[in-house]
Amino acid sequence: MSNMEDTEKDFHQKLSDAVVNMEDAAAASLSEEVVANGFDAYEAIDKGLADGMERAGTLFEEEEYFIPELLMCSDAMYAGLDILKPHIKTEEQTQKHKIVIGVIQGDTHDIGKNLVKIMLESSGFEVIDLGRDIPPAQFVEKAVETDADIIGLSTLMTTTMDGMRDVIDILKEKNLKNRFKVIIGGGPISLGFANKIGADGYAGNAAGAVRLARSLCGGAE
Amino acid sequence: MKDQMTPLERIQAYNQGKAIDRLPCVPIVGNTAARVIGVKVSELRGNGQLLAKAHIAAYKLFGYDNIRIFTDLYTLAESMGAKLTVPEDETAYLQAPALKNESEIDSLVPVNPQKDSSLLQFLEAIKCTLDAVGSEVPVTGAVTCPFTTASFLMGTEKLARMTLQNPEAVHKLCEISLQSALNYAKAMLDEGAAPSLTDPMSSGTVISRKHFEAFSYPYLKKLIDYIHGRGKSVTLHICGRTNHIWDLMADAGADCISIDNEASLAEAKEMVGNRVRLMGNVRPSEVMLDGTTEDVKNAVAQCISQAADSPKGLIVASGCSLPTETPFANIHAMMDAVKKFTITP
Repeated sequence: MSNMEDTEKDFHQKLSDAVVNMEDAAAASLSEEVVANGFDAYEAIDKGLADGMERAGTLFEEEEYFIPELLMCSDAMYAGLDILKPHIKTEEQTQKHKIVIGVIQGDTHDIGKNLVKIMLESSGFEVIDLGRDIPPAQFVEKAVETDADIIGLSTLMTTTMDGMRDVIDILKEKNLKNRFKVIIGGGPISLGFANKIGADGYAGNAAGAVRLARSLCGGAE
Repeated sequence: MKDQMTPLERIQAYNQGKAIDRLPCVPIVGNTAARVIGVKVSELRGNGQLLAKAHIAAYKLFGYDNIRIFTDLYTLAESMGAKLTVPEDETAYLQAPALKNESEIDSLVPVNPQKDSSLLQFLEAIKCTLDAVGSEVPVTGAVTCPFTTASFLMGTEKLARMTLQNPEAVHKLCEISLQSALNYAKAMLDEGAAPSLTDPMSSGTVISRKHFEAFSYPYLKKLIDYIHGRGKSVTLHICGRTNHIWDLMADAGADCISIDNEASLAEAKEMVGNRVRLMGNVRPSEVMLDGTTEDVKNAVAQCISQAADSPKGLIVASGCSLPTETPFANIHAMMDAVKKFTITP
C-alpha cells in the first residue's frame, strides 16, 4: 500500500471525525485539502463526510447525541459537501433515488423532517424538500414532476394526521399509488396508523427512515 | 354510574390518603371543548367567555377531575411577538418566531397580562370557569415553560444550535420567557386558579439531560417555587421520552409529573413514584382518536395495573392533549373505565 493511499484514508477518517465532532471549519478546510491533493471527491464524501454523519446518527439512536448535536454535525457535513460536490467526476454521478419530503399542512414543526432529509442526503438519496405546512396535493404534483421514487410525509401534530391519508387518497384517485412508495413518520404516527391509511412504511426516527427508504428502493445505496 | 364525590373532594381525600370513590381521571381535553358546544376552534381564541363556556360544558359532559384552560402552546410567545397561523377550525400553530436573529433578543419585553388583550381573555375564561364550577373541580390555566417559549421566540432549530454555540443568549431568552411565565402565573393565581405547566421542547427526545439541567431546570424551578409560594401544587407535563429527567422534574419541585405514552408508568413508579404523583399515559392518537372504546378500556386498565399503587398516587390521563376530533365515546369510555377502581385505604 502506497503512502498516498494512507494519506487519503487519513483524510477520510479526519473528515468523518470533523462531522462527528461538529467542527464545520475543520470539515471545510479538510475538504479544501482533499481537492488540493487531487484526491477523489466522491470517495471523500462517501467514506469521510457521510461516514461521519452515519456515526452521528448512531450516537443519536443511542441517546448520546440529541437534536442540537445532530444539527451541528450536519452543518459540518454540508460545509465539506459544498466544497467537494463540484469536484465529483461525472462518471461517478450515478442515478440517485429521489424522495419528495415535507411536513403536512397545518404543522410547522420541521426539525424531524430536516433530520430525515440530512440523513437521506448523506446516504446518497436525492431529496426534494417541499418545506413545512404543505397541502397534500402538492406532494403528489412534485413527485410526478420530478419522477420521484418515494414520498415522505412528516407531522408532529395529531391535528394534521388526516393530511397524510389525503395524500394517499389523491394517489389512489389518480391511479398513481403503485408508482410512488409513501413513507410516514413523526411524533403521533405509529405503524398501525401507517397500515391503516395504506402507507408503504413507517419509521420512528431519521436513521430508521434511511433504512426504510433503502429497503423500498430494493436495497439500493 | 354517578360519581359519589366531586373532583375537589376526591383529590383532597386522595391527597390525605382517605377512601375515594374512584381514581382521579383527566382526559386532557383541549380544543375538543369547541366540539362540545359546536363552535369553530378559532372562535375560542380571544373570547374568554366562550372559552369558559366550552370548558365548563366539556367538564359537565365528561365529569373529569381537572379543567385546563388551553387553546395552544403559543399564548406567551405570541404576546411577545411570535406570529401564528390560526386556521378557522383547527389548533393554531407557529408561523414565524418573534426574532430574526440573536441581536434582537434585547428588544423583547415580558408580557403584562393586565394590558394584553389576548391574555386578558384567558384570564376572563379562568374567572368565568371558577365562578361556575370552581367549588367542585380544580380549574387550571396552561402555562408554557421558559425553554419552550424561548424556542418559539427564536425558532426551534436556531435555538437548538444556540444551546451549543451561544449558551449565554439561550439563557437570556429563557430568563425573559420566565419573566413572562411568572407574570402570567401571578395573574392566574390572583384569580384563584393554579397554573398547569407544559414544556414540550425540554423533552428527552429533543435535548440531552445536560442541556435540560442547564436550560430548563433552573427556570422551571423558579417558576414552581413561585407557584408553591402562592400555595398551589404543580403539575408538569413534558412530552416524548422523559425517563432520564424524571428525577430532575421532581427536583424542580413538580408535585405531579404528566408523562407521554413514549414513557412507561411502571418505570416512572419505580424511579420517582415515591417523590411525585404520576399522571398518564393513554395514547392520544392511536387509542383515544383512532381506537375503539374497548381499546380505551384496555389502555386504562394497563395504566392502572402499572401504577395505581404508586406511592404518591396516579391520575389516569391521556399522554398529551387530546386531538380535537377525539370521539366523545372514547372520552366517556376512559371515564367509565376508571369508575371500577375505587380506593379504600
